[in-house]
Amino acid sequence: MKRFTRREALIVAAAGAALAACGGNGGGNANGEISGDQVTLRFTWWGSDARHKRTQQVIDAFTKAHPNITIKGEFKDWNGYWDALATTVAANDAPDIIQMDELYLASYAERGALLDLKTADKHLTTTDFDAKALATGAIDGKQYAIPTGLAAYSFVVNTDLLDKYKVTVPDDATWSWDDLKTVADQVSKASGGKVTGTQSLGFDIGGVNIWARQHGAALYSPEGKVVIPPDLLASFWQYQVDLAKGGMAPQASVSVERAGAPLDQSGTATNASAFGSWWNSQLTSLAAASGQKLKLLKLPGEAQASSAGGYYKPSMFWSISSRSKQPAEAALFVDFLANSQEAADIMLTDRGVPANTKIRSALVPKLTDTDKAAAEYLDTIKVGESPRVTPNGASDVEQILKRHTEDVLFARKTPQDAATSFVKELQAAIDAA
Amino acid sequence: MSSLGELQRLGSSTAGPPRKRDNRAAFFFLSPWFAGLVLITAGPVAASFVLGFTDYNLIQPPEFNGLENFQRMLHDERLHHALGVTFTYVFVSVPLQLAFALGLALLLDRGMRGLAFYRSVFYLPSLLGTSVAIAVLWRQIFGADGLFNQVLGWFGVQGQSWISDPGTALSTLIVLNVWTFGAPMVIFLAGLRQIPVMYYEAAAVDGASKARQFRSITLPLLSPIIFFNLVLQIIHAFQSFTQAFVVSGGTGGPSDSTMFYTLYLYQRGFHSFDMGYASALAWLLLVIIAIFTAINFWASKRWVFYDD
Repeated sequence: MKRFTRREALIVAAAGAALAACGGNGGGNANGEISGDQVTLRFTWWGSDARHKRTQQVIDAFTKAHPNITIKGEFKDWNGYWDALATTVAANDAPDIIQMDELYLASYAERGALLDLKTADKHLTTTDFDAKALATGAIDGKQYAIPTGLAAYSFVVNTDLLDKYKVTVPDDATWSWDDLKTVADQVSKASGGKVTGTQSLGFDIGGVNIWARQHGAALYSPEGKVVIPPDLLASFWQYQVDLAKGGMAPQASVSVERAGAPLDQSGTATNASAFGSWWNSQLTSLAAASGQKLKLLKLPGEAQASSAGGYYKPSMFWSISSRSKQPAEAALFVDFLANSQEAADIMLTDRGVPANTKIRSALVPKLTDTDKAAAEYLDTIKVGESPRVTPNGASDVEQILKRHTEDVLFARKTPQDAATSFVKELQAAIDAA
Repeated sequence: MSSLGELQRLGSSTAGPPRKRDNRAAFFFLSPWFAGLVLITAGPVAASFVLGFTDYNLIQPPEFNGLENFQRMLHDERLHHALGVTFTYVFVSVPLQLAFALGLALLLDRGMRGLAFYRSVFYLPSLLGTSVAIAVLWRQIFGADGLFNQVLGWFGVQGQSWISDPGTALSTLIVLNVWTFGAPMVIFLAGLRQIPVMYYEAAAVDGASKARQFRSITLPLLSPIIFFNLVLQIIHAFQSFTQAFVVSGGTGGPSDSTMFYTLYLYQRGFHSFDMGYASALAWLLLVIIAIFTAINFWASKRWVFYDD
C-alpha cells in the first residue's frame, strides 16, 4: 500500500481545512476576532408577548456591554415563524441567530443551513451544559444547536375555575384518562357550557408522543421510521372524539379555531377551558394571559401506564445561520444567551428550565410562583428516555396531525382510517427528504 | 366610469392623429409596468420554469430530475383535492360576483344623487379585499366569538366557528370574494354609459318593457364588457392566495377545505422544502388558466356582440 508523503498529507489537510471553511460559513470566520466596527446582527424567535418583552431586555443588556453590536429582533408567533424562516433561508437572507425547535432541527441542519457551533468554540463555550441535554442539539457529531432549556409535557389546570364551579382538583399522582373525562364533564356541566372542562389535545405532537409512550410504543424508530401502531393512534383520536361529543372539550370548530390561534387566545389563556395540555415552560406565559390561578398537574394515565409517558424535551435551541456574515459576533451573543447569569435572570424559565446546570442551580432559588412551579415540575415527574429527534422531512408532522385530527373531529374519517393515512403520509414525507 | 368615457371622447374629438403616435404614447405610459416585468418578474419566472424540472430543497443546489415532478402530480391526491377546491371557488364565486357587480352598476347607472359617493363606497371593498387586514377581519367576523354569531345570537341561534368548520369555511371565502365586486362594477358602469340612450328611447316608443330593454339592448351591447370581466375575474380567482392563507392560518384547513391551489403550491415549496415540485405546480397553474382563457375566447364567439 502506498503511503502518503509528508507533503501530500499536508496538501490534503490544507484542502480539507479549506473545504471545511467553505462549507461551514458563507461570510466570516466563526472563530475570528470580534470586530470593533459597527456590526448589526439579526435575531429571530417565536413566542408570546411576555417572551418578546423579556428577550428585548436581554438584547439591551448585551448591547450595553457591546455598544458596537446592534441586534435587530424579529419575532413572530409560532404559526408564522416557520414560513418566514424558510422564505428567508431560501432567499439567502437568513437571520444570524435563530431560535430553533426540535421539529425542524434535522431538516435545517442536514441541509446545511446551520453553523456547526464547535467551529465557534473560541467565543461560545458549552462546558457548563448537561451532556445529555447538549447531545439533543448534535447531529452526526456536529453541534448545530444549543438547547435553551428543558421542558416536559404537562397538564395545566385553572384552580380558580374549579373553585368557582366547586369541582375538586384531581389527585395527579393517580389520575387516569377516564378521570380527566369525569372531572372535565363536571366542569362543563356546572358552568352550563360557558366553560368547557378541557381543551382538545389532538393538535400538538406532544400529546401523541405521550399516548404512544404510555403504551410502550413510539412515534419514530431510532432509524427515523414511523412505527406507531395505527390501532394505538386510532385510540388517541377516539379519545378526542369522545371529549368533543360529550361536551367535555369544545365543539370541533371551536377547538380547530383555537388550535390555530396564538397561545394568548387559547382556551387556557382565556379561561374558557379548565384543563389543557401544555409544555410546563408555557405556564408563565399562560398565567400572564389568563390572570387566574393556574397549576401544573402530572399527566393523566401515568399511574396506569406500562411505561412512563413523560420525557424531557429540549424546549428550544439557539442556532446560527451557516451563511451568517458575522458568525463570531453571533457566537458571542449566543454565548451570552446560553452562559450568562444576567440573561438567565431576565429570561427565567420562559424558554424552559435552563439546560446549563451552573445557571440552573443559581437560578432556581430566585424564581417566583409560576417559574418556580415550572422548574419544580421537572423534578417531580417520572420520565423515560427521550424520543428520537424529528427526522429530516418530518418537520410538517404537526400540520399533518392537525389535518387528521380535523378529519376525525368532523367525522370525515374514522379514527382507524385517519391513523392509516397519517402513518403513510408522514413516512412518505420522510422518504422524500 | 367617466374616465373611460372621457378617453373615448378624447380619442374621437382629436382630429385623427396617426395610429403610430398613439401606440408610442401607450408604450410610454406602459413603460413603468414593462420595467417592473423585465427587472423584477421575468427572472424569477424563467428560474421557476427551470426549477420545475429539478429536485430543489431551497438550501442545497437544485438537481435535474427530468419530468419526475410532473409524473408525481398524477398520483398526488392532495393536489387533486386542491384542484377541486379551487374549481369550486372559481365557478361559484365568479358568477355570483359578476351578477352582483352588474346589478349594482344598473342601480347606480340610473343617475341618482351622490353617485360618486356611492360608487366609491361600493368600490372600497375591492381595494381592501385582497389585503391581509380584511382577511384578518374575516377571521374575526366568522370566528366562534365573531360578529356573525352575535347577530345569529339575537335570533336565538347558537353559532359555531364558521371559518373552522370544513363544511362552511370555503363559503366564507366565496362571500369574501363576492364582496369585492367593486372593480367589475366600475367597468360595468363605464360600459353602461357607452350604450347610446337613443336605443332605449326607440325601444320605449315601441312599447318594450324594462326587462325586454335589458335583455335586448343592455345585455348584447354590454356583452364585450361582461366577457372582459369574466376573463379577468376567472384568472384572478384561480390565483387567490391571501384570503385563504390568512383565514386558515396558512394551513388550508380545516381538513384541507380551503386548500387553494396556490396555497398547496406554497406549502410544498416553503413547508416541505420541495421547491422543484412547487415550481412545476406553478407552471401547471399557468397552463390551466391558459386553457380556461382559451375556452372563454372560443365560447365568446357565440355570445359576445361587437358593435362595429
